[in-house]
Amino acid sequence: MDIDIQELKDGWCGRQFDEVSFELDVREMLEFAIACGETQPRFTDPEHPDFQAVPSYASRFHGRRAMPEDFPIKSHQGFDAGKCVEVHAPMRPGDKIVARSEIHDIYTKTGRSGDMLFIVHRMRFTNQDDELVSIVDWRLVQNRVSRRAPGEGGP
Amino acid sequence: MILDLHSHSIKSDDGRAKVENYCQWIQRKKLALDGFVLTEHRQFDATSDYRKLEDEYDLLILKASEVETEYGHVLLFGVNEDLQHAFDFSRIDLPLAEVVEQARRHDAIAVPCHPGRVTVGMCAHYETRGPVEGVEVIETLNGGSRGTENEEAIALAKEYGYRGVGGSDAHIVSFIGRCATDFERNVANMEDLVRELRAGRFEAVSYKI
Amino acid sequence: MSDSAPVRTFADVEFGEELPAFTPDVTMPTVRRFTDAAHMSWARFNDHEEARKQGLPGAIVPGIMSQGILAAMVNNWAPGCRIVKIDTIFRAALVVDSAPKCTGVVTDMDEEARRVEIDLTIANEAGETRVLGTAVVEL
Repeated sequence: MDIDIQELKDGWCGRQFDEVSFELDVREMLEFAIACGETQPRFTDPEHPDFQAVPSYASRFHGRRAMPEDFPIKSHQGFDAGKCVEVHAPMRPGDKIVARSEIHDIYTKTGRSGDMLFIVHRMRFTNQDDELVSIVDWRLVQNRVSRRAPGEGGP
Repeated sequence: MILDLHSHSIKSDDGRAKVENYCQWIQRKKLALDGFVLTEHRQFDATSDYRKLEDEYDLLILKASEVETEYGHVLLFGVNEDLQHAFDFSRIDLPLAEVVEQARRHDAIAVPCHPGRVTVGMCAHYETRGPVEGVEVIETLNGGSRGTENEEAIALAKEYGYRGVGGSDAHIVSFIGRCATDFERNVANMEDLVRELRAGRFEAVSYKI
Repeated sequence: MSDSAPVRTFADVEFGEELPAFTPDVTMPTVRRFTDAAHMSWARFNDHEEARKQGLPGAIVPGIMSQGILAAMVNNWAPGCRIVKIDTIFRAALVVDSAPKCTGVVTDMDEEARRVEIDLTIANEAGETRVLGTAVVEL
């Protein structure tokens, strides 16, 4: 893999590249919880006084792009290698959530599927009171990568 | 003396275990381990000091590395400053022959791990690229291996006369000790470990249920 | 389960305690229910044949559904607990309509913070670990 990882990290980690908004829908929250096997009423009964999204709910949200617009790597195929969700406050129906994305880390390793480029995409979720509700680190793995030609479209 | 020769802590990118929790687990679950070796991915952790934990839990805790070569992953025991300067531990395409030779030259030993694993194990690469001079010991029992991967590693060891070690490849606390290595003689430090590995006075053991 | 189910407190938990192992529902109807809710109704998750054409062993369970299943296991074990962090590594695919096994075990206890850490795994029918990780839980 002909990529200078340190150069990528120095140039791209820590820069916010996306911001999106969501409004939490009670039906989706409920269906998500039930499909995962939740049985606690605070996750499965919208009438419960403490009804909220399940703790990992923020992991289902994506921004408009997985990587920054002018990121120099063109991805060919990728998969989700894992997610870490920190829960700071409950997510409730009708909450208006803002999610801001940055590249948190970049590294390479080899695995059963070959050479892999790991891009850790971090999203910070805040609600309408500007309260931090969740931080999600998404480890996006690229199996085949190549350099994007100058002027070529984004990921 | 039984040591788990292959484990990862939170220092590895995909490790989720704190070293003290490994110690607690071994003690509370009464595992048949006298210690373990931390083999962090693509780095050597020179700064962490586990001597207090060793004393508190009466365990031997050693530090080593797992590096990545064109023949798959390799455990490096006996890492020192000279070896760290000999090649870049963060590369994922190191030449195995060079890793083996540099280890030997700097009083360390390179042990290819999970040889039966696709892409990151030596077996398949031996078929396509041929064997590498200087390999003496390989990991024949890996706690994270699937299907027939360990059997393939054992077969490779038999074919080439390599001795086999065992390690859990634990990335979470509860996986420590699934496989290990039973040494005939006492191992008190890394120098002893390298000596015993070179001498071949050990066998791989599995405690995997 | 209702709110009257016994609440598990920090004092009720022991180091090394195993959560009840179980086989989650990853049948196609349930996975489709999940992917509809999460707006990810893609062939690789919802159609065995199409998934195989993509080189997969069959339709696969979304990683975040696996994570949600593990969170539910924790919540069902300790009603009223608060999951502070859940961190999962998706090592290999779990096939829809298979019978995987979820396990959890307490591997750290912080008395001051009243938090425990739990090792989480999902293994396939052959016993191979497909998903692993940890959760930090406040009790």
